[in-house]
Amino acid sequence: MIDFAQWKAGSLEIWREGDGPTVGYLHGMVCAPGRQSFVPELASRGFRVIAPSLPGYARTSPSVDIRNIHDWVFALSEIIDAAGLVGAPLVASSTGAMLALELAAMRPEAFSSLVLVAPLGLWSDDRPVADPFSTTLSGQRALLTRDPTATASFFDDSAAGDLLVDATIQRYTARTATASLVWPIPEFGLAERMHRVSCPVTLVWGSDDQIVDPSYAEEFAARLRDVRGRHVVDGAGHLVEWDDPRAVASLAAAAFG
Amino acid sequence: MKTIWFHLMPYPELPDDFTSEHRSVWVDIDPGLFDARVGHRMYNEYIDELEFAASVGFDGVGINEHHSNAYGLMPSPNLIAASLARTCPDAALVVLGDSVALYNPPIRVAEEFAMLDCISGGRLVAGFPVGTPMDTLYAYGNNPATLRERYHEGIELILKAWTADDVFSFNGKYSKLRYVNCWPRPVQQPHPPIWIPGGGSIDTWQWCARAGYSYLYLSYFGYKAALKTMQGFWKCVEDAGRPANPFQAGFAQFFGVADSEAEAIELYREPAEYFFNRCLHVYPGFADPPGYKTLATVRNGAEGMVERAAREASERAQQTTKKAERKAAQRSFSAASHMSFEQMVEKGYVIVGNPDQVAEKTIEMAKQLRIGHVMSLCHFGNMSRDLAMHNTELMATKVLPQIRHLWDDEWQDRWWPTPLPVADRMTPSPRPSVSR
Repeated sequence: MIDFAQWKAGSLEIWREGDGPTVGYLHGMVCAPGRQSFVPELASRGFRVIAPSLPGYARTSPSVDIRNIHDWVFALSEIIDAAGLVGAPLVASSTGAMLALELAAMRPEAFSSLVLVAPLGLWSDDRPVADPFSTTLSGQRALLTRDPTATASFFDDSAAGDLLVDATIQRYTARTATASLVWPIPEFGLAERMHRVSCPVTLVWGSDDQIVDPSYAEEFAARLRDVRGRHVVDGAGHLVEWDDPRAVASLAAAAFG
Repeated sequence: MKTIWFHLMPYPELPDDFTSEHRSVWVDIDPGLFDARVGHRMYNEYIDELEFAASVGFDGVGINEHHSNAYGLMPSPNLIAASLARTCPDAALVVLGDSVALYNPPIRVAEEFAMLDCISGGRLVAGFPVGTPMDTLYAYGNNPATLRERYHEGIELILKAWTADDVFSFNGKYSKLRYVNCWPRPVQQPHPPIWIPGGGSIDTWQWCARAGYSYLYLSYFGYKAALKTMQGFWKCVEDAGRPANPFQAGFAQFFGVADSEAEAIELYREPAEYFFNRCLHVYPGFADPPGYKTLATVRNGAEGMVERAAREASERAQQTTKKAERKAAQRSFSAASHMSFEQMVEKGYVIVGNPDQVAEKTIEMAKQLRIGHVMSLCHFGNMSRDLAMHNTELMATKVLPQIRHLWDDEWQDRWWPTPLPVADRMTPSPRPSVSR
């Protein structure tokens, strides 16, 4: 079920799926409420999954107040309040995982547990995080997932007429929101704050991540207080839950079980 | 009609295999291709050409700002303008401009433009481009999501700095200054004329129309392809309830003048092919990052896509997307890559011919687009200084007299600088001889 809550910037789109203990899902660089198999896959393991769309993504209004990472983190803080996610365990991916860590560092009660899929937020000169935008749209798809068709529900259009125009605008707004999070380098000092994250964390990476090299898992693990597991999903790219929804759902169920 | 001699200052010695061996002329071009001795010669020759153009009767000299590229080597147009302000005593200094969002704080633009206006005695045209994505987002790391807001805020600060009677505080979203006090102040009051160079952004048309700024369409793809854009701008002027004064608009155009059309084709083929094939060889992945375009422009493009899709109802949606992507890449800077000179002439990218032919086509262009300012590119690509000056001289002596009259009997150019009277203007004084 998809419904809308209100927050300071307008409409907040929330996808709710399944019954059971509440688990949050925070998307990364792409977002397709109602059309992403990971959410029902996770719900099928006995959870009530709540997946809000961040500002600018899908049908959540863009927020004109957001100009830097500080504003993004405050936005997420308000969003988990509005979505009823405070204190719940959370699966967060890519840029969403970076935001979740930032929020957990300053608001300890925000999440009870985190499963982070290829978080951004650190930078190493010898393994630079890839720029997902200095390429064509097709090139970007190939960077995000091992199987470029895995994100079809975000990139491809099935609508026509005015709905196609709306879908094009929505995708552009979402990609702009991602750009605002990662441009020019997605490193905003998280390394200096990560030690404050007190909840248990599980790290998941795709073996073929073209955006954040899987070796970054070590950098995150070295700075986090309570890492419960580190997993590499074979044959998956950056957005592991799009390439292999079952694998990530199983890892999350085990972590939250 | 006013004609401005506009220089891009391209790097003239890109190798013959540049397009096959290098992916882009911009952003990640191989630094090893730059030879500083060529740079030394190039800058001096290019300044010679600008000075020559001013001396033979062009109304203005024009320059602009780009970064990390071989297409246009003026990271700081103000440096060149400062030199020209002293050596070109009568021409307008058309700086197109300073990319406002790249100056932090943008008060720097207010100050340097005011310096130029003072040095030149009030001959500055203040151009405020957003800047290309390659310059602003990739080379200078601006965030595409906030670039335009930062740009507009910067212009607001500059205008207030030029016109405020008192020291003031500016509490912007991106610039926070406790004390704003622009010294020097511009000669022209309330401020130099403002020209906005742009691509096809609808919001820019509306803004220029509303605020009364002069809009310049800097396409290098010829006046024939520019018609739709300029019609869009003039519609916005009409909607804003303003008169369609042609001097509120300008257009950039390549010219190649010779004694005959055949000679012109022979003379200008190589530099044109160099420019269009090498200098515009931009990797498409740099041309269209999300957030750079306004949503109105994206919507306009999407609606066009829908119309096309309706015409081609049998086409699958995925094919439509790929087509739009291809089309977007074609509209980007690399559009003319591998095009022959004959095609460039046929499409109007370059107006070539004898002086009468060039004058006739230029008037046709100006009337079709309804423009009062022509940014004329008489140097392009790897053109030699001698050929650039030959082209410039023919243009000044045999073409300009035929086109200059256009619009003068009907419209006043309210977007042209208003300098101090000649008698009040300083010129470089001869250096006193010093006995050693």
